[in-house]
Amino acid sequence: MSALTRPKVLATLRSFDLAVIAVLFGLLAWVLSIQRVTDFVIFAIFVVSFDLLYGQMGRLSFGHMLFLGTGAYASALTAVHLGGNPVLALVMATAAGGLVALLLGPMTVRTTGACFALINLAFNQVWHFLALIAFATWTGGEDGLAVWMQPVGPLDFGDKRVMFAFALVSLLAVIWLTRRLTDSPFGILLRGIKQNEMRVRFLGYDVFRAKLLAFVVSGALAAFAGGLSALNYGYVTPSFVDPGRNVEVIFACLIGGAGSVYGAVTGGVVYMLISNFLPSYVQRWEMLLGFALLVLVFRFRSGLWGFVVSRLGPRAEET
Amino acid sequence: MIGIIAYGLTIGAILYIISIGLSLTFGTMRIVNFAHALAYTAGAYLLYSVMRAGGSFLLAAAAGVIIVVPLAWLIERFIIRRLYGQSIDYAIIGTYAVLLIGVDGIKWLWGATPIPLSDPIGEYVQIFGVDLPVYRLVIIILAGVIFLGLEFFFRRTIVGKVVVAGLEDKDAVRSLGIRVDSYFSIVFVLGSALAALGGILYAPITTVHPYMGLHVLLVCFAVVLVGGLGSMRGTLVASFALGMVIAITGRVWGPAAETAVFAVMAVVLMVKPLEI
Repeated sequence: MSALTRPKVLATLRSFDLAVIAVLFGLLAWVLSIQRVTDFVIFAIFVVSFDLLYGQMGRLSFGHMLFLGTGAYASALTAVHLGGNPVLALVMATAAGGLVALLLGPMTVRTTGACFALINLAFNQVWHFLALIAFATWTGGEDGLAVWMQPVGPLDFGDKRVMFAFALVSLLAVIWLTRRLTDSPFGILLRGIKQNEMRVRFLGYDVFRAKLLAFVVSGALAAFAGGLSALNYGYVTPSFVDPGRNVEVIFACLIGGAGSVYGAVTGGVVYMLISNFLPSYVQRWEMLLGFALLVLVFRFRSGLWGFVVSRLGPRAEET
Repeated sequence: MIGIIAYGLTIGAILYIISIGLSLTFGTMRIVNFAHALAYTAGAYLLYSVMRAGGSFLLAAAAGVIIVVPLAWLIERFIIRRLYGQSIDYAIIGTYAVLLIGVDGIKWLWGATPIPLSDPIGEYVQIFGVDLPVYRLVIIILAGVIFLGLEFFFRRTIVGKVVVAGLEDKDAVRSLGIRVDSYFSIVFVLGSALAALGGILYAPITTVHPYMGLHVLLVCFAVVLVGGLGSMRGTLVASFALGMVIAITGRVWGPAAETAVFAVMAVVLMVKPLEI
């Protein structure tokens, strides 16, 4: 491939990105099992929501499982108490995630760096406790909740193919939405905050409101992923809010390449492939994950997508 | 009542011993060190191994602390030193990776089953009509001794003074021709050794298991954030205050003890947000 056409390849791919992603996931589902890839798709949504905070706004959260869990429990509780309408459950999950982010946001987004990471981790820990012990009467404690959904029209989530298609369409919608958001002046504002918050504030922007809005959108998207995940598994347990699992999404975001929605999706898929298949071959896979993280931090900061971009086109193309 | 206070003081003492290293590492190097939990866990496991091999508690404790020192030096030399001055996110992720590797290594060497240890002194003393284990009193006294020792170290010795000056203004110290970073690495190793000591002291009160470190680390982060990063006296006050919170909540509703700490931390951070 000559140097002249390289940026063109990337630009062409970018204009058909949603179709390309859909086809790739379809192929993946065909090669692996459809159930497994549904899980991949949902995790990719979660990583995209995390990347909005980390990649765009430069805030590393060590407690994003909080929102995934909020969504999962909200959707399960809706199913139990308000009838098994999956659409209602997903709406409730997203709304619950946004609401929780709106409540916690004013406390968390004022902080930066380590403080932001740790305060989110602390809230995540509190949530885990609430789900596991304090509200055990409603959440089922350690046993969790079973989620039964009624079919709504053609949306029968008992059918694995419908579940897959719905998750994939959701992912495409989330990608489209996130790209719209990050390409907008608001997205530029977020990246400005990442680089130099003080300067953005001097320019007269309401930094707090922008940060809070990003936090709420990210929380709502993560909760949506949680709601989907509850539908997909058919149950919810406290492992959905386990603070120890935050490293998964951080790792996925880094390996894919932070700061790009495609990087987030790539990272989500690669992490799921690793975590699904590696443990059956390598016994000490946590150790391997640790070494991989070190390599990412020291040598490979732009991630897989960053690598692809640097090979195929000019770096300015990064979203 | 006396029982609750004594328990709170014991927890506070252990929290202080572990958190002070964390606080110093942050204050000097601007690094949030998740690998701190590894030193803590390794200390407890080394204690168990040496005691099983027939060593006394004192010998095992000394061995645990001494073996952790070169380990901490290696981590500082090859991981932490490369993260100086970088974005704090990479430091968090890098040290978390070290923790993952270390915990998996511990599972490899010792297995994942929790190991209970018995009280090494096993005697009780009566204070105001309440039976208290002598061991816990020893821990509280030891924390006091460590606090005084650190105060002496940072106020009277030249190494300590360089570190304190470096906490205030790193560049100014460096421009005096002092290699601040090598002094900071001494602080790192010292902090890790104290974390190992904390793990050793706490091991007989709880059980030894691979994930013991991460749990305590979260509480210690709360201590350090409440006390003020890099503030030695703040860490002391916050340790005992949060130790009391744990003891009192634990008496009222056991499972909520640790969560109460995070609630306190959230309130404190709301009142005085830290700009890190």
